[in-house]
Amino acid sequence: MLKIRNICMLQRRWKSGKRRWNVLQHKRNNCDRALETFDDFYGSVYGGRWKNMRAALLTEHKYVAMVNNFGDTEQTCSMLELDGAINIKSLIQLAMEREEAGTESNLLLNRHAHYDIDDKLESLLRKQQEREVAAIYPSAADDGHVPPQQLSYDGKKNKEDSHTEAQTDSEKEASSVQFTHSLTKALEQDVQLDESRLVDPQFGTGGLYEYVPASSIKGMEDWVAESEHYKYYQTNTDFPLIIEPEAMFQYPEHLAIYTYEMGNCAEFKPPRQCLTGVLSHFLMDGASVLPPLFLQVQPGERVLDACAAPGGKSLLMLQTLHLDQLVCNDVQESRLNKLRRVMQEYLFDYKQRWAGKRLIFSQSDARNLDEYGSYDKILVDVPCTTDRHVLMHQDNNIFKPTRIKERLRIPELQAGILANCLRLLKPGGSLVYSTCSLSPVQNDGVVHMALQKVFTEHGITARIKDLSQHTALFSDIYRFEQPKGLKYGQMVLPYLPANFGPMYFSKITRNS
Amino acid sequence: MWRRVLFNAQNVQQLKSVNLRQLAAKATAPKLLQLEQVHIDEAVKLEPALAIYTPEIWRRAHETFQNHGLETMSFLRIVTGNPNVLKRTPDRIINTLEIWRACQFGENLLHLLLTKYPELLDVTDAHQLLTLSAYLKSRLSTNKNVWKVLMNSPDLMAQPENLIEEKLTYMFEVMRIEVPEIVKSSALSLSFEELRCRHTFLVRLGLFKPRPLKADPNEPTTNHRLYQITDTSEKTFVTKICHVTLPEYEAFKELLARELERKSRKTQVEEEFSDEEV
Repeated sequence: MLKIRNICMLQRRWKSGKRRWNVLQHKRNNCDRALETFDDFYGSVYGGRWKNMRAALLTEHKYVAMVNNFGDTEQTCSMLELDGAINIKSLIQLAMEREEAGTESNLLLNRHAHYDIDDKLESLLRKQQEREVAAIYPSAADDGHVPPQQLSYDGKKNKEDSHTEAQTDSEKEASSVQFTHSLTKALEQDVQLDESRLVDPQFGTGGLYEYVPASSIKGMEDWVAESEHYKYYQTNTDFPLIIEPEAMFQYPEHLAIYTYEMGNCAEFKPPRQCLTGVLSHFLMDGASVLPPLFLQVQPGERVLDACAAPGGKSLLMLQTLHLDQLVCNDVQESRLNKLRRVMQEYLFDYKQRWAGKRLIFSQSDARNLDEYGSYDKILVDVPCTTDRHVLMHQDNNIFKPTRIKERLRIPELQAGILANCLRLLKPGGSLVYSTCSLSPVQNDGVVHMALQKVFTEHGITARIKDLSQHTALFSDIYRFEQPKGLKYGQMVLPYLPANFGPMYFSKITRNS
Repeated sequence: MWRRVLFNAQNVQQLKSVNLRQLAAKATAPKLLQLEQVHIDEAVKLEPALAIYTPEIWRRAHETFQNHGLETMSFLRIVTGNPNVLKRTPDRIINTLEIWRACQFGENLLHLLLTKYPELLDVTDAHQLLTLSAYLKSRLSTNKNVWKVLMNSPDLMAQPENLIEEKLTYMFEVMRIEVPEIVKSSALSLSFEELRCRHTFLVRLGLFKPRPLKADPNEPTTNHRLYQITDTSEKTFVTKICHVTLPEYEAFKELLARELERKSRKTQVEEEFSDEEV
């Protein structure tokens, strides 16, 4: 008979515990991959400041509340004010008064100075290339053997090279017997050249025509070098580049955006239903406010939002009440649906007054839009690595290993969109290019590429507007990158007490 | 020399007299075995609460401690630190000492511990102390380590075991810190939330990387030492160890607390759901 004690003994499992190190070890996921890449890349771009940004990026971000003008505006405003939030408009006014009172001489901008960032990226590219070469030819560093940097596709030349190499090898052997060789080197040198397989040009060169030089490594056909990404950042200018300060900045009269002061991490109340059936306010990342604000939409203008979803920036432009017509474009149906839902929730009488009349949706790749020269203003908020998203969320993460090609070619896509949008502008119209990435390749690099592209292909010239004078008005709310670190635009940096961004934006005006 | 340890500078200045010179001459003697009136006077000056006891009580208590191997010097430090000791009967004092002796730190180390923290003589519950010391020994492997931990954070005596366990598990499993380092810091005096906040902040700044599980224990790490992280004031920690500004850390503390609260609420909701499914 079984005793009760025996049953207990049987129940015990000895191999149940997960105690082996390989089980306990944290598995590397997409967010870790992103963080690793950023540590490497931004660490060398931003130096010591990167760790502050890193901590901020990995922590919850801060919102601002945009009051819906189609709901109970005054009620919402007073509710937000009771919670201690401040209207950005009043902060701007204060800053403007302060600026008028103070001296305005502190804006010495030597725009054509030498940018450290260029050197940094160049050295980064070199380092990355070396690392990639070292990964494939692991022994290269020990032996002092120089691995092929670039594959030469000239068959004959290769052949000659191999001959000369054989010669130099034997010479080397003669000269360096006294050294102790490493194993790989010794093997390389002791190997006998198989004379029967050498094609002597004397007996016909037929064999040479069959020779196909290697263009990829077996088992690594899909391998893409990370350094390819950095090559998009160019420094040589062969198009007319004009950077001029933006003349004026006007804060829209009817726009009410509320924020908490720097250092205050309080949260906003969730939006609630108003009498008109729309929601009272829209919560968005604080930095996303800036690109549409600097676009300076004027009454009666036709505006395009080239990559509109999820709709925060479009909604902000609608809230200024200036717009005549807004075209919202996005590439995916699902994203457009998201956008439609937002508009339905926030616009009064959406079906009767907005859809199809003042608000038009279009679904296409922004590179293929072809109503050239027909928009006054365009907001180009391109797809990017979305630095905050990739560090926090697993799904839809561009650092997924299978999306490496997409990720590395992202600057190409961005430049394509920006270049096309420049063509869509009316002469004299302007656009704001924005990304939520800290990467100089996707920011200044893309602006440069696009300007070059439109100039060489379509002869369009543009001037870049320097907004730094106007971003100074916002310096109580945001932490900006110093103007020396950026060539063509301004950037909001993530900073723990004001955890907005990252957001890069650059305003470009097409020459008439 | 012993005077410098026992009395602070102010008192010493007041005593610049012939009397003092005599004392100094005595101080050079290797061991003090006699309790003299001068000692009592000095002690009373330091701790006025001691003035109420008669010389007889002083003598009796001194004798008790001396019989248990504590020198006059240590005795004086104990009574100035914890005047209530004199109130007790010799039996009670002996009982407490026996309880401590049962922890098996070794006589010498035990005396050091008791001299450093005379309040530890207030212990009366043998069972509680022994449970604690046994528990600490099970986590820290040796009695000497338990002693070191108590030397650094005597307030462990007042902490419930589950709180200590929480902190130790965090340090072993999340921070991957070994026993010798834990023992050298007063990390266990910190609250769990504070410890986690400081550690998370360092991790997010990229300044603290947990050791890989298979790493060679002899290999030095680039991480800051645990005592640098935990035994510093908030300001020193932020500016000297993390090299950031205080407002950033303050904002971080607030944000992290909210983040963790949100996370725990989320897991709670999930658990409720899974219960319903079952």
